[in-house]
Amino acid sequence: MRRNGVFARLALVLVATTALAACSSNKSPSTTTDATTAPKCGAGTGQKATGEPIKLGAIATKQPGTDFTDIPNMAKAFFDCVNDNGGINGRPIQYLIETEQTDPGQVASLAKKLVESDKVLGIVGNTSIIECAVNHSYYEQQGFYIIDSGIAPECYSTSNSAPVNMGPRYSVDGATQYLIRQGVKKLVLDQSNVPGTGYIEGGFLLIAQAAGIPTESLKDNVPIQDANSVALKAVQAAGQGGGVVLNFTPPEALKILQAAQQQGLQDRVKWACSTPCNTDFLANALGPQWNGKLGVNAELNLTTAAGPDSELYRAVQKRYAPNVALGSFSQMGFVEASIAVKALMSVSGDFTVQSVNNAIKNIKDFKTDILCKPWYYGTAPLHLPNNTDRTVVPQDGKMVEKEGCFAISDVDPAIAQVRRIEASS
Amino acid sequence: MPDWQNFEPFIVSGLALGGVYSLSGVGMVVLYRTTGVLNLAFGAVGAMGAFIAWSLINTFGWPAVLAYLACVGFGAAVSLIYGMLAGPPLAGRDPLVKAAATIGLALILLGSMSWIWSDKARSMVLPTTNWRYSVGQVLINWTQIIALALGVLITLTTAVFLRLTGLGTAMRALANDREITAALGVPVRRVEATTWVVSGALSGVAGLLMSNLVGLDAATLTFLVISSLAAALIARLRSLVVTLAAGIVIGLVNALVTPIFSISPYRDMTPFVLAAVALLFLARHQQVSFARRIT
Repeated sequence: MRRNGVFARLALVLVATTALAACSSNKSPSTTTDATTAPKCGAGTGQKATGEPIKLGAIATKQPGTDFTDIPNMAKAFFDCVNDNGGINGRPIQYLIETEQTDPGQVASLAKKLVESDKVLGIVGNTSIIECAVNHSYYEQQGFYIIDSGIAPECYSTSNSAPVNMGPRYSVDGATQYLIRQGVKKLVLDQSNVPGTGYIEGGFLLIAQAAGIPTESLKDNVPIQDANSVALKAVQAAGQGGGVVLNFTPPEALKILQAAQQQGLQDRVKWACSTPCNTDFLANALGPQWNGKLGVNAELNLTTAAGPDSELYRAVQKRYAPNVALGSFSQMGFVEASIAVKALMSVSGDFTVQSVNNAIKNIKDFKTDILCKPWYYGTAPLHLPNNTDRTVVPQDGKMVEKEGCFAISDVDPAIAQVRRIEASS
Repeated sequence: MPDWQNFEPFIVSGLALGGVYSLSGVGMVVLYRTTGVLNLAFGAVGAMGAFIAWSLINTFGWPAVLAYLACVGFGAAVSLIYGMLAGPPLAGRDPLVKAAATIGLALILLGSMSWIWSDKARSMVLPTTNWRYSVGQVLINWTQIIALALGVLITLTTAVFLRLTGLGTAMRALANDREITAALGVPVRRVEATTWVVSGALSGVAGLLMSNLVGLDAATLTFLVISSLAAALIARLRSLVVTLAAGIVIGLVNALVTPIFSISPYRDMTPFVLAAVALLFLARHQQVSFARRIT
């Protein structure tokens, strides 16, 4: 009798779990692939690489609310495609992905594990909230030149980290420039109340000041519990003819924008957002009421763009990583892996930490239709190779291009320094 | 300091949120009084119900009304299942143990939501949100009115129900003394089950309203429980009318400090500050009691 009761309880849990899983909207990706349209990557031989693997590694944040693993997962998809097309002179790339939970001790030990235990020859695709700050000195000592997606300031301001993205500060700069071009009379920056907001705010203030536009900086705790009030506050602070720049994750930005719409505030001011808002998911959730009304700074091209690299990106995602969403994150992973493969292809002789990282460091004029201008590494004391980008707006559930490539303002001192370096090289 | 006119829209926003806090607080108080369980999973249950409704509408093409009913039904069903599975083994345990057990349920639901729906941006707009009218400079939508009205209506209905019906009398008797009530022949398990169902249904309603007023976000809706719990604590987990008033005050204060930039970043402390002030005030001349009696 007692056992029957236990079984009944277990059955209940199983039924509930199954029903919940059936409700999932995003865990049932199509696995259909067309063998006749297998993408060609790297050498493009169509032959599987079978030699001794070349090891590369990555560290990405994965914790509740923050998951950057789409980036290394897409990089792995590209490496898998390369491995199916002859690899690097017949040698496959073995890609090791480690995940971290913003614990500095853990992040430091993962870097040591990859470098000293796993003996990786290069680090490609790192995307972590704290990794650049924790490990950049260690990588420098070990002679590693990292290709990553930057978040912490150290990802952009050190000699041995070169991101394919611009990060939140410069993306906010781009969104601010868009609103200035829209002719706003006052600028308000509203961002999540987390460490680093002062650093992000710096560029916004300088650019607005240079344009002679008054500013207001707001911070709101996340998750936002009172979106209506937050939207009202931002709109009132901007005033008639003002503009609001949002720097939040897509779900938090959506709360504010949706609340603004519910209160009829979407036309009271001009709206802009940093790169995280550049997802069709957000455009779809906002609906047609926001068509053309939210300028989103886009560090990379639209995922639907034409061009050989964009087409290859979509083909690789479809065949090798159907669980990874099309979006900025997976585009970053694709570009980072493409740069790494170009570097590996250029290695003559043995593959060692020194030869691989020299090849990475020597990358220049890497052209792709996913970025506005060629990407480079080099020996500069700081790296911001992606400093020219676009503005996109929501249109009927998708993001579409509003403004073509424009230069991030060199009023921001780091951008000015990078432009000087670019001009002199 | 902004002009008074600038505060007006915040009053509307605060009253609507306050209504949902009250509604949730009443659900928590009634459950606590009847079963001795302070349900800290209240917000998570409503959040998952709202996500299920979103999926039923957007993935399976269900009519919105059926999906909303499914949300409320999910809240009632999950709460009932939890109450029936965990209730008997924990019946004799300390209230703290019972409350801690509901954190387990909240974490399971939170993890499940993260696993099933990830943290992508979603929105669920109730049709009533598009029915709007202006009062002066302030735009008011019907979801905000419904949120406040439901908070008041459910509080008053529950109070009357507890006074005038046989089941209500049984629930109040259980709140006073479970053992004596059982000895008098009251079907304790059935009364408790009914309370779990009602409280769970309220969590579903709160989840639906909050997903519209704030956003469809697992963490946000799960932590709705903080403001509701503060309202319930101010009422010393006893008075439904005080819970209603406290919920509305919390919503209002939270909204009204938002445009005051100097204190705006600290407004999330509102529920804790108000609860602490109220409890200290009530404890001036007497010992604060959370004795199980509904008034």
